[in-house]
Amino acid sequence: MKAILRILVLQVRHAPWRFVGGILLALVPLLAGLALLGVAGWFITAAAIAGLTGVFLNIFVPSALIRGFAIARTAGRYGERLLTHDVTFRFLANLRMRVFKGAAVETLSEGRATRSALLLNRMTTDIAALDAIYLRLVVPICLSLLTFCLAALVFGGTALWAVLPLAIFAGVMASLFRLAGGHADRQAARRQEAALDAVRVRSVDLVAGRRDLAIYGGLDDAAAKVEGAAERLNEADVQDGQRSAQLASYSFLAGQILFAALLVILGEAVLGAKLDVAVAVALLLFSLALPEVFVSGVPGALALARTKLAARRILPNVEEADLFDRSFPQVAVDSGSASSGEGRDAALTLEFEAVSFRYRGAREPVVRELSFAVGKGEIVALTGRSGCGKSTVSALASALIQPESGTVRLLGQPLSDWHEADLRRSVTVLSQRPYLFHGSIADNLRIANPQASDADLWAALDAAALGDRIRADAAGLAAILGEGGFGLSGGEQRRLGLARAYLTSPAFWILDEMTEGLDEATAEDVLARFLSFRGEAAVLMIAHKQQEIDKADRVLRLTDNGLVD
Amino acid sequence: MSAPVVGSVQQDDSGPDISREIGRAEADLASKAWPLTGDDAANLKRAGLILCAADVLWIAQAAIIALVSAWLLEVFLAAKLTDLPGDKNSIFYLIYAALGFCLLAYIRAWLQWVSSRYANDVAREAKLRLRSSFLSSIAKASPAAKMADSGTISVHLAEHVDALGPYLSRFQPQMMRVKVVPLVILAAILPFSWLAAIILLVCGPIIPVFMALIGIRAKAASSRQQEELARMGSVLLDRIRGLETLRLFGALPRTVGEVAEAGDRFRVGTMQVLKIAFLSSTVLELFSALGIAFVAVYVGFSLLGDVSSGTWGAPLSYFSGLFILLLVPEFFAPLRSYAAAYHDRAAGLSAAEKLRGLMEGLAGGAGDQGLDKGSDHPRLSLPIGRAPEIEVRNLHVSHDDKLVLQDFSFSLASGKALVITGESGAGKTTLLDCLLGFLKVDQGVIHIDGMDLGDLDAAKWRQSLAWLGQSPRLFHGSLQANLRMADQSADEGAMMKALELAGAGNLLARLPHGLKTQLGDDGFGLSVGEARRVALARAALRTHAGLFIADEPTAGLDEETANDVRAGLRHLKAGRTMLIVTHDPALIELADQHLVLKKAGQA
Repeated sequence: MKAILRILVLQVRHAPWRFVGGILLALVPLLAGLALLGVAGWFITAAAIAGLTGVFLNIFVPSALIRGFAIARTAGRYGERLLTHDVTFRFLANLRMRVFKGAAVETLSEGRATRSALLLNRMTTDIAALDAIYLRLVVPICLSLLTFCLAALVFGGTALWAVLPLAIFAGVMASLFRLAGGHADRQAARRQEAALDAVRVRSVDLVAGRRDLAIYGGLDDAAAKVEGAAERLNEADVQDGQRSAQLASYSFLAGQILFAALLVILGEAVLGAKLDVAVAVALLLFSLALPEVFVSGVPGALALARTKLAARRILPNVEEADLFDRSFPQVAVDSGSASSGEGRDAALTLEFEAVSFRYRGAREPVVRELSFAVGKGEIVALTGRSGCGKSTVSALASALIQPESGTVRLLGQPLSDWHEADLRRSVTVLSQRPYLFHGSIADNLRIANPQASDADLWAALDAAALGDRIRADAAGLAAILGEGGFGLSGGEQRRLGLARAYLTSPAFWILDEMTEGLDEATAEDVLARFLSFRGEAAVLMIAHKQQEIDKADRVLRLTDNGLVD
Repeated sequence: MSAPVVGSVQQDDSGPDISREIGRAEADLASKAWPLTGDDAANLKRAGLILCAADVLWIAQAAIIALVSAWLLEVFLAAKLTDLPGDKNSIFYLIYAALGFCLLAYIRAWLQWVSSRYANDVAREAKLRLRSSFLSSIAKASPAAKMADSGTISVHLAEHVDALGPYLSRFQPQMMRVKVVPLVILAAILPFSWLAAIILLVCGPIIPVFMALIGIRAKAASSRQQEELARMGSVLLDRIRGLETLRLFGALPRTVGEVAEAGDRFRVGTMQVLKIAFLSSTVLELFSALGIAFVAVYVGFSLLGDVSSGTWGAPLSYFSGLFILLLVPEFFAPLRSYAAAYHDRAAGLSAAEKLRGLMEGLAGGAGDQGLDKGSDHPRLSLPIGRAPEIEVRNLHVSHDDKLVLQDFSFSLASGKALVITGESGAGKTTLLDCLLGFLKVDQGVIHIDGMDLGDLDAAKWRQSLAWLGQSPRLFHGSLQANLRMADQSADEGAMMKALELAGAGNLLARLPHGLKTQLGDDGFGLSVGEARRVALARAALRTHAGLFIADEPTAGLDEETANDVRAGLRHLKAGRTMLIVTHDPALIELADQHLVLKKAGQA
């Protein structure tokens, strides 16, 4: 419940007036609907009395009221829905962005991004589930409370005894509501979700791994596992359905009993000549529509457990969102300051001093007490068996991860003292697999430098030997790359990554197995082009191909026991 | 993923496109009855009729209210005219009436509950049946058969089958209700006043006309919105996957702007869809409110004596006037619930269509069942642990109507290694599929230790050999569970040894929970090379296997991992018959025999 309340507070803060306005506007059609039936009941009873006794009856006011209420109910309903949904979706869009920021912080701080599907789920399915907080919980509950007060006032002024069954009914509905959102349901919601996840994951395994399964483990066993998960899912669904049917039956019955009690109380008042019969009929018809208001909260109560789960899942990300704004400010803090890389003349470009690092939860550090330096303009190759921590060194040098102990300095200044924006202008990393975004060639290039002109882009593409290939495409720079760079071969993707890097002018380059998986001729070409482009900048080259190592001024070999020159 | 729009539209009683429905509903049910059985259809019909019965009981309840009110009016007027005190016992009439009302209410609640039980049961059975028939056809199909990709099948099995639930359990009973209840209510009103019946008859059926007009726009808008949702999802996923790149180029702050933009586009689109949906429910509301207003005014004026037509002769009594007024909201209620459940229909039918397509695809793909299909004669099995000798004679195999292997023969002695090379498309993998029993041989024989492969028990045969594929898959679960798929009884020592052999010793040291580390999406992500090492360890754990088959075991690996895999294979060769298909010249060193496979027709 706490998580839901936290989100609720965020939503109120987001747009307090519209939040309250939605509830008030929702009251209009509700009251018009209640009044419509009440006035209609009063009107025909009064008309019957007038018809039988010949007493004068003003027919124009009530019939105008009836028409007015009919229209107010319809128009109010439309307006109320538009407003409440608009309020909610504006808030959710804002919340989604916060979750994205938090998710970014989470992913980047873990150093290993393997959970993109999970994060996407939070930003789509979980966020969508939170529309229930305002639309299906806050608004119906507020309306129920307001309607209860109103009905209590109406009955209090006409037939005081009628307040009693009304209060009992409200109490019953409140406890049904609590029951629906109770502890047992939380377990059920969790079971249901776990079962659905199991069906998804295991069926992917079954289909994608069917060759492996035929030989190891058996296809029938794997299919039986999915079926078991499907059965658990069904069991949870059945419980869900039963609960909602039960709740619907109970609340229906409660409303009907309320009406029967009011029938007796109001009828007795008429018999005792304490109440006008027309008013009594009006009140009866009014209370016929009353339970519907209270029942409108039931779907929200049924979904409460799931809403809670969603709220709880996204909340940590929402809270980390501020961290994102602090770490990656919209504008760089005075780029001419002491932290800027430009104009600095340190003798060593990069310096590792007794640096250790271990992945979260790992028993052994992957980098232990590592010390080395890269001088100004120097090309240093770092080699070693895979898994010895070469890529970790690259991540440490580019400040993607922070050392457990020790210091990494860039241009004489510890990395932790750099402003993010300045640091990124000073270091460029060329990785084994450049990530290409779904978008145009130009979009992908401008990630490195949003101000780059088309001419700059072509120059970078030509420098990476990709210009002719792009020119051959009718769309040119506007050609769209698919997910993961579809449409370009592996070598071409690498060159596009190179072209993107050429749009920066850093003081320090990190190459992480840049030519891995390229054939020898392509690799040679890519390397030569890079070396002529880099100018005076220093280079740390993570490598295990001789071809790459040959280009280095100095070679460091990383072993389990430390560095060997 | 479609939850946001969907959730809201469905719960607001606003469903587009009611019109085409009413005419075509029956036809739909008949033609799209799949996956329902006859029993299911009968049960759904029963659920619908019971729901109708619950509604119809309202007519009796309304009669009680109208009778009591008319009686109260009479007493009230009598008291006014004669100034006589009321009957002291008359309070009991009220209590009897209230009890009668409650009894009817109880029966209605019970009927609604029974109806939902029937409907939910049908939905549950149908979902179970569908899932298990899908799963068994996937398991029965040969692993070499073509199949939709795993993501698609997973969505079918999870989301699409689930979408059938509300369609069956909610929408179907509502459909029956919308056809029966308004007519019964009209029939109840007609004897009292034909004019009131006509007012409803006009207000009711006009609704579909308006809804049809709105429905056409709604459909277009909501399919646009589905695309917008998919687009937003892919922008988000793309940016999450590329977070590191964005950070390295200092582009994160800009990215937030893009994400916000995508979110805003989605929000605007959602509101557009909802506006249309709300409009259609407003039409329903309007007619139902106007229906009440018209009837109330008509009844009032009749009772005043200002209007005298509309009845069958005698003027409208107070009882009949109130009775009619009480029935009006219930005339519109089924239409509103139907509209609310309408979304379930759209989702259910489109899911059913997709599922049927997949089912047909699976049935088609299951043609290749390799060894698993065919005669029931007793299956033979090989002695465990012995390195078998293999003889392949005059093999002809076609795959996808193309001749892949033509007159292919070789023989491999027990404990020897055969390396087969050849250009892509020469049928190397097809040959292995035949040996593994995934594909059927058109002509020729495969003899294992002198026994025809076709006579062997396929499952036992596959469990008796070790295999390393070119893109081996590891499964969600712990590293240990993955390794034990090769041998249930493997202990920790054996697993460590196997990992060591595969050069994955220092991988193990880096894993946060050692052998118990969870692999997969939510756990530890392995690189391609690491996954291949674990797969090699898994193969090595099958110590009793006398035959080792490897399909491009070093393809796509960095040199270092490839070297470790070669070393592992060299080690595993001892005491086994080995068959390796590869492009890698370095593996030929392992061979006792080397064969170059040429494309069929070129040999």
